[in-house]
Amino acid sequence: MKIPTAMDDSSVSHHNGGQVGSELGVNVNNKQNEESSQSVQYSIPGILHFIQHEWARFELERSQWEVDRAEFEARIAFLQGERKGQENLKNDLVRRIKMLEYALKQERAKFHKLKYGVELQQGDMCPPPEEQSEIGYTDTILDIRSNRVRTLLGVNSDDQAEDPNYRNCEKQHYSTNTALNRKMMMYDEAAYREQRRKGASSGYNEEGLSVQDTAAVFANFEFLANQEMDMDEIEDIEAKQSHHSSIKGEEVDHEAEEVINELNMLTETEADGGGQGDEYVDEKPLALGELAQLTVSNEPEAYDVAGASKESFRKTWNPKYTLRSHFDVVRAVAFHPTEPALVTASEDHTLKLWNLQRTVPAKKSAGLDVEPLYTFRAHTAPVICLAMGAPRTEECFSAGVDGTIRVWNLPSLTADPYDPYDASVQGPVLREHSDAVWSLAAAAGRVLSSSADGTSVLRVSCPSPASRVRCHPSLPVLVTAHEDHHIRFWDAVSGRCAHTMVAHLDAVTGLALDPNGIFLLSGSHDCSVRLWNLDTKTCVQEITAHRKKFDEGILDVAFHPMRPYIASAGADGLAKNLCQNRPSLCFTKKKNILDVLSTFVLFFMYKINH
Amino acid sequence: MSDSVKILRRNRPGSKAKDFCRWPDQPFEEMDNTLAVQQLIQQTIRKDPSNLVAILKMPEAQEEGVWKYEHLRQFCMELNGLTVMLQGECKPEICTQMTATEQWIFLCAAHKTPKECPAIDYTRHTLDGAACLLNSNKYFPSRVSVRDSSVGKLGSVCRRVYRIFSHAYFHHRSIFDAFEKETHLCKRFTYFVTKYSIISKEILILPNLDDEVPINQPVGESEA
Repeated sequence: MKIPTAMDDSSVSHHNGGQVGSELGVNVNNKQNEESSQSVQYSIPGILHFIQHEWARFELERSQWEVDRAEFEARIAFLQGERKGQENLKNDLVRRIKMLEYALKQERAKFHKLKYGVELQQGDMCPPPEEQSEIGYTDTILDIRSNRVRTLLGVNSDDQAEDPNYRNCEKQHYSTNTALNRKMMMYDEAAYREQRRKGASSGYNEEGLSVQDTAAVFANFEFLANQEMDMDEIEDIEAKQSHHSSIKGEEVDHEAEEVINELNMLTETEADGGGQGDEYVDEKPLALGELAQLTVSNEPEAYDVAGASKESFRKTWNPKYTLRSHFDVVRAVAFHPTEPALVTASEDHTLKLWNLQRTVPAKKSAGLDVEPLYTFRAHTAPVICLAMGAPRTEECFSAGVDGTIRVWNLPSLTADPYDPYDASVQGPVLREHSDAVWSLAAAAGRVLSSSADGTSVLRVSCPSPASRVRCHPSLPVLVTAHEDHHIRFWDAVSGRCAHTMVAHLDAVTGLALDPNGIFLLSGSHDCSVRLWNLDTKTCVQEITAHRKKFDEGILDVAFHPMRPYIASAGADGLAKNLCQNRPSLCFTKKKNILDVLSTFVLFFMYKINH
Repeated sequence: MSDSVKILRRNRPGSKAKDFCRWPDQPFEEMDNTLAVQQLIQQTIRKDPSNLVAILKMPEAQEEGVWKYEHLRQFCMELNGLTVMLQGECKPEICTQMTATEQWIFLCAAHKTPKECPAIDYTRHTLDGAACLLNSNKYFPSRVSVRDSSVGKLGSVCRRVYRIFSHAYFHHRSIFDAFEKETHLCKRFTYFVTKYSIISKEILILPNLDDEVPINQPVGESEA
């Protein structure tokens, strides 16, 4: 009860504003009054609270004052810049006059030459000394002439036309020029900051460009025309600057402490003519590092794509995990649509779910490898093919020699492998086929299967039966893998074979396209996984990671739709340990992450069209 | 078989289920890859799953450790079939404990502290744990040679795996019989563990499975 009243008092006094001392006095009086009335009136917390309030107010005032100071400092910097700019302009005008005089003299000489053929020599003789004296007077003109004047001549004529204009709006030009000059300074002193700002807000791109332009202009004396063009922009920018500073002022009111800390930076910013002090970073090297990134990110997209593809060109895939837990040939592998997880299907009649980010802490036997998260048991014969459902459905389809297609609800990726049996993982069973199912494709909750019983089998007329068909994620191109060691490319529109290449030393069994459609991954019974550039149709990388069982090597390959993983499923294990031969998977990781595009949807659509 | 044409032992896409892995036998001597033992075992089983003697007849000059290891892998793999059938019937509410006879309750060793899992969980966890152990890089880094110390691990796996058979036998007899009729797995397993003395005879609690299994004296003797 009492303390709140004390608080009210302090807040009231706070609102009163004015001198602190008197307030304190008033407050003390109040206190005394209340003390006299009720002896247990003032507790220490109440007093402390009051003091804290006062302190906060002082801090606020101080920060306000600091902000004012910063603004004044900025103003000073601005005025200094203006003065410097005027000086520069004066020099430039002088130079310009000289240049025009020189041009005029040249014109006169030419005219002289044409008009009086006789006095030609004399005329010729006369101007040079003048010219030389002129050139001697302005050294830079000579350089510029040799370098640029020819290109500038067109501009020059404009300049001359604009000359009266120029004089008329001299005042405007002056202000413009000061702005330009300020920019020059910025460019010299703190080019990185300027560019940072450019990167920080895309709206500032123009400004950054204009800064560069003006720098060039100043060096080359061709400022007039550009000035005209820059005028509007500059005024805009100045408006922005003032806008920014006003906003900043408000922010400062709200966040006094922060502003105090950032005051130095703030003044710099103001001197630079705007920007948001809050976002600046103290360390110059850091800023430069970010600058580099930002400038890169400002590049056109086309370049980015090229760069990315080049980069990924150079990057190679390295084995990351070996997934061992199957007792027999791993027939198929499919990635989770979003998570770094995958499902494998094996001839040991089981499917296994692996979470690549959760390497199960070494149980007595696990070692460093990934342990499967879940074992799906329902098939009574080797499982041959797998398909992942649409993202977020957490559905997975599997089918195999037993002719059933089974739907699985993937358990949570954080589940423990030794959790109690959960019957809900096993979804419905589709018994549409009477014989082994060899291929599955899923899209939007529907699944398409092709079976050895002769139903819904895709046929492409080619010399050798296709063992895999994949669709390009964005182009109407089909890629097929063949037993005659070939990979063939098809135009999905015309149905014609676009390209054929011998890709492996043995039958090609697995195909996968990366989600960007830049790379093709193929696996073969020759135990090698090859990465191809789809553009050039050249092999970028070869990975030999599996061993044979009977005459089978690699049976499937896959790209993760979002994450930098590829996987290969084989009859067998690692190439690193020659004696290791167990059904397993080899893993590789790439650094740049690719976008998502649905291969399956297109695949699906193609099948319907035919 | 005509050797003039090179035989490719391969499951081509689109093969019929009955043609799956149906290729001419390859003599063990001609198997030049590192999975020869598994190939041989699977090849013999495929020919006649009831011919236990042939299946467990170890080729000469074969290292016994690898032979046992590969057989145990095969057992665990084929036990998946029994598990699938049990999943339909052996509910955790009914078989709340892993028992065979009333004598013992088996605790699941897959957990940090052994746990009284329901029978179906025990089965799954045991098989998962066995898969983990048998594929472990630490204990079984190679499939052409197995260390003696690792061979010792096989015994405990066998003991636990045998409990799956016994639970099925005593509690889900119809499933057990159907499975056994098709695969002869329990008979083969009993023959295997007896032949190589992996499990002591006292633990083998199942009665002699049937009369018609004839030829193998070791089984007959041990279970008589």
